[in-house]
Amino acid sequence: MTFQWLLAWRYLMGRKQRTILTTLAIVFGVLVIFGMNTFMPTFVKAFQTQVMAAAGQVDVTLTHKIGEAFDPSVLEKVRAVDGVEVAAGSLERVINLPADYFDRDPNAVDRISAVVLKGIDPEVARQMIAYNIVEGRFLEPGDTHAAVITRSLAREVGVQLGGTLSLPTAIGVVDLKVVGILPERMMPGNEEVLVTLSEAQQLLNMPGKINIIDANLNTMDEARRAEIQQRIIEAVGSNYKVGALESGSEILTNIRNAQMIFNLMGFLALLMGGFIIFNTFRTIVAERRRDIGMLRALGASRSTIRWMILAEGLIQGIVGTAAGLVLGYVFGYLILQLIVPIGQQYLNIKVGAPEVSPSLVVTSIILGVGVTVLAGLLPAQSASRVTPLEALRPSVGGVSFRRIAGFSFWAGVVLLALAAGILVSRQAALLGLGAILMSVALILMAPALINPIANLFGYLLALIFARNGTAQLAEGNLSRQPGRATVTASTTMIAMAVVVMMASVLTSLSLTFVNIMEKSLGSDYLLMPPTLAVWGSNTGAAPDLAQKLREIPGVALVSTLRFAGSQIKDVAVGVLGIDPQAYRQLDGLTFTSGDPDSAFTALEQERAIIVNGVLSSAAGIHLGDEVTLVTPTGEQTYRVVGIATDYLNAKTTTGYISQKNIAADFGRDEDVFYQINLKPGADRAEVEAAFTRLLKNYPQFKLLNGKAYVEENRKMFDAVFFSMYAMAAFLAIPSLIAMVNTLAIGVLERTREIGMLRAVGATRRQVRTVILSEALILSAIGTAFGILAGLYMGYMAVKTFEALGFPMTYIFPASGILSTVAIGIIFGALAAMAPARQATRLDVVEALRYE
Amino acid sequence: MESMVVTENLTKVYGKGETAVTALKGINLSIGQGEFVAVMGPSGCGKSTLLYLIGGLDRPTEGKVYLDGQELSTLTDNQVTEIRRRKMGFVFQFYNLIPVLSALENAALPMILDGVPVARAHERARLWLERVGLSDRLDHRPAELSGGQQQRVAIARALAHEPLIILADEPTGNLDSRAGDEIATLLRQISSEWGRTILMVTHDPRIAAYADRIVFLKDGKIVDQTHLNGNAQEDTRTVREKMEVL
Ligand SMILES: Nc1ncnc2c1ncn2[C@@H]1O[C@H](COP(=O)(O)OP(=O)(O)OP(=O)(O)O)[C@@H](O)[C@H]1O
Ligand SMILES: [Mg+2]
Repeated sequence: MTFQWLLAWRYLMGRKQRTILTTLAIVFGVLVIFGMNTFMPTFVKAFQTQVMAAAGQVDVTLTHKIGEAFDPSVLEKVRAVDGVEVAAGSLERVINLPADYFDRDPNAVDRISAVVLKGIDPEVARQMIAYNIVEGRFLEPGDTHAAVITRSLAREVGVQLGGTLSLPTAIGVVDLKVVGILPERMMPGNEEVLVTLSEAQQLLNMPGKINIIDANLNTMDEARRAEIQQRIIEAVGSNYKVGALESGSEILTNIRNAQMIFNLMGFLALLMGGFIIFNTFRTIVAERRRDIGMLRALGASRSTIRWMILAEGLIQGIVGTAAGLVLGYVFGYLILQLIVPIGQQYLNIKVGAPEVSPSLVVTSIILGVGVTVLAGLLPAQSASRVTPLEALRPSVGGVSFRRIAGFSFWAGVVLLALAAGILVSRQAALLGLGAILMSVALILMAPALINPIANLFGYLLALIFARNGTAQLAEGNLSRQPGRATVTASTTMIAMAVVVMMASVLTSLSLTFVNIMEKSLGSDYLLMPPTLAVWGSNTGAAPDLAQKLREIPGVALVSTLRFAGSQIKDVAVGVLGIDPQAYRQLDGLTFTSGDPDSAFTALEQERAIIVNGVLSSAAGIHLGDEVTLVTPTGEQTYRVVGIATDYLNAKTTTGYISQKNIAADFGRDEDVFYQINLKPGADRAEVEAAFTRLLKNYPQFKLLNGKAYVEENRKMFDAVFFSMYAMAAFLAIPSLIAMVNTLAIGVLERTREIGMLRAVGATRRQVRTVILSEALILSAIGTAFGILAGLYMGYMAVKTFEALGFPMTYIFPASGILSTVAIGIIFGALAAMAPARQATRLDVVEALRYE
Repeated sequence: MESMVVTENLTKVYGKGETAVTALKGINLSIGQGEFVAVMGPSGCGKSTLLYLIGGLDRPTEGKVYLDGQELSTLTDNQVTEIRRRKMGFVFQFYNLIPVLSALENAALPMILDGVPVARAHERARLWLERVGLSDRLDHRPAELSGGQQQRVAIARALAHEPLIILADEPTGNLDSRAGDEIATLLRQISSEWGRTILMVTHDPRIAAYADRIVFLKDGKIVDQTHLNGNAQEDTRTVREKMEVL
């Protein structure tokens, strides 16, 4: 046993440069896995709070059964429950305002007749819900007489940032300074005034009390959640009641999807790390065949050889993992620091140091060392099969490559077909499998394809470096060693696939989001009912309001929505009545199947319905189906003429029919939502004043400047996407370094050959060109394959979101691909630079001797 | 005399079909214990192949090899490996040494592989390196040695664990005549004084003349055998004449 270690150690030390490079591969594998996980929980949590905030919800809300305030000690009990991620206590009371409190105008309708004074613990509350501050700052623990309010409240009461909001309280009228502004309130209920908990306790004269506890749980698993809720009830006693986020709700689904994507990225990182390490050992075995043969000839048994390679793997695995842990932490820290400024402002991530749990360290070590040993297993096995003859008559075995290449090519074709099948089936659950199949398929097909591709690129390079004829030499080198070339190119492929996939998903995600948001909310003005989530609870207005709005000078278009509740196959459906022509002009629907022209025409002429993504997947509805809607007058059959989604109703099962039909079948003719566009050059101030006058009689509607709203929200999305890009970079940068590493090893491996070239009269310049050409050919092949695989994976990911009812349009990441090609070339050249320099400086005599 | 090596109808075919090369065609050879046999013949006649088959490094296409009474083809890979480690010493034509090990460690390799304590293995290796004249190169790596020095390390390695049989493929090929003579004398001594069996391939009639018997190979067949009488000059002349005939 000790002998294996000695030999392993000698080989490692004997080729320091190589050892450093290969250990680096392990370091990067561990770095990605470990580093990503140190900030992933923070990130996922932030994402979660963000989504929660968008819906104004937390996992669990605890109140006293009869609504009384209680002692904060209960909070400690909740926090102590296993499974509670974070819990915050707050004190909330509705403050009813005297008539004309804000507008001091007895003639005007009071739009704000009450507000909720909410005392919170600023630090903990931000961990629960992402408060998206658009102006000023959030509350800080020591604040006194400071309040944070929404943009809409600020407008209604006419205060600005830094201004004063006076509220009647238990201790008289108090002036609060507005220190921060939140986005417009779109949720039902009264406007909230946020103050610190101690402030609220003072103002409401309830010293040392809270009346609500909000908690977020640490799991998305439904059974676990129920269990934790049960435990909370047991912990606090029967005097309290728990309200919980409904299981299976859209928010949970969305968060799960996001986590799935994150897991996929982690998996890819692992796959790549393992692959790089595998490649390393494969190279080690390949170039050491002669030594291994000699050892065998002298009486080393197969298991001795196997252990020698594994011992090497273990040493490198341990050293690499240790370094990877340290660097991963540092990298995670740096990424977090990068996100901090944005994080603090928009995402409200409380960033400290990366989170390192003992289990993460253990997992990383197991993965790092384990993957290394595992990756070394196959090469070790093949090393143990090296016959003594290898030492004496080398270069046996080149013959069988052709057969293997042929076999693996067809195996690859089969896997590719499977991957394509998964793509067609659009099974969300198979996304990960498809990604693996696709990469494995390409890796398998690579050996057979490498020759023709190398020939092609060799030809191209020959044109470029026409004069010295060295490109052919490089191409020849690759064709002679297709195995090695395959592995190097495959590593590049995975690295590039990661980049392209990220680009696909992120471009599609961000553009789709912003597009849909702009389409749905981007009209000049919106008249919003108190709640968007529950259309049915809104009181609408008779059609004459729309008519009056249209008559206001400067108004170009008024599109309204009417609502009725219904059912398709036991699925509750919100039916929205639209004016097809007007709605069409707003372009609010994003079609995933069906064509807008015929769909809107059909809506006007017959009982036709457009269903949204969530509904189509919930009720299994396809384009062209006939569906039966439950109406107050009996069942009615509608033809599905399109599947399309708008932003506001993206998450609820919704169908769109004409207002004529909703009147005929559901007897509804009140408008609950208005979208208004102005004529070009209309005087906004004047139009707005006219709206306000008109809306005095319709206090149920809130006037909203759509464009401004979109702008405000876009900042939030930008921040989310920026963090996603940061994470993509986190995965991509090590991949690229690993690729450079692999290419560099490929050159190092050939020191002797290069020495021979120099010996027979190749100039330094020629040698440099050979190496450069080779690296470029390899990275070109890898990049080409990587783009293919990445496009597939990106498309799969986007389609998966879509299949889950999330409105996404696949956007071909053209710029992503261009940059990938550029990156491929740059890194290919970069990879060649150091080894090329070294090769040209090579001492010919040294190279021709033993290594 | 008891036989250390016996081959029966030993045949080796490389490759298949049209490109098949028959390297050995039914070799029947018997080498006695303590006998020193040299194999000669033109390049490509199958000398190395014969050595590899006897050394259990490759498997014959047909025929059998008995070593110390055991038929090699009936043994498992691990058993053959163990025999190589314990009973055989090899000197190959090219690339003999492990590049990352020092001369001393290379020479001690078979013993280390066999589990001999390092101190003892090194002691023996040092002794044999001194005998081949490398006492001042113990800690050098192969890359720091000349071709001839590398070959001498290989010889020390083949002898250090005192195997029953030594298989040497051109052991003196890279040495000058004086160094070659020293090695040949050493082999002669090992054979006559310690009773080790030696099978040596060589091109050099002068070196072959140290052997007890010379086997002449041509196109994979034994074409002639000569027992030598121990007179170096006479023997060398005989060998020269025979070689010319081939
Ligand atoms: N792996 C192989 N595949 C095909 N033919 C082989 C192989 N190895 C050896 N040969 C052929 O077998 C024959 C015998 O080879 P061998 O190496 O035994 O010759 P040799 O007598 O040792 O020659 P030299 O004196 O040049 O070392 C040669 O013709 C050689 O070309
Ligand atoms: Mg030979």
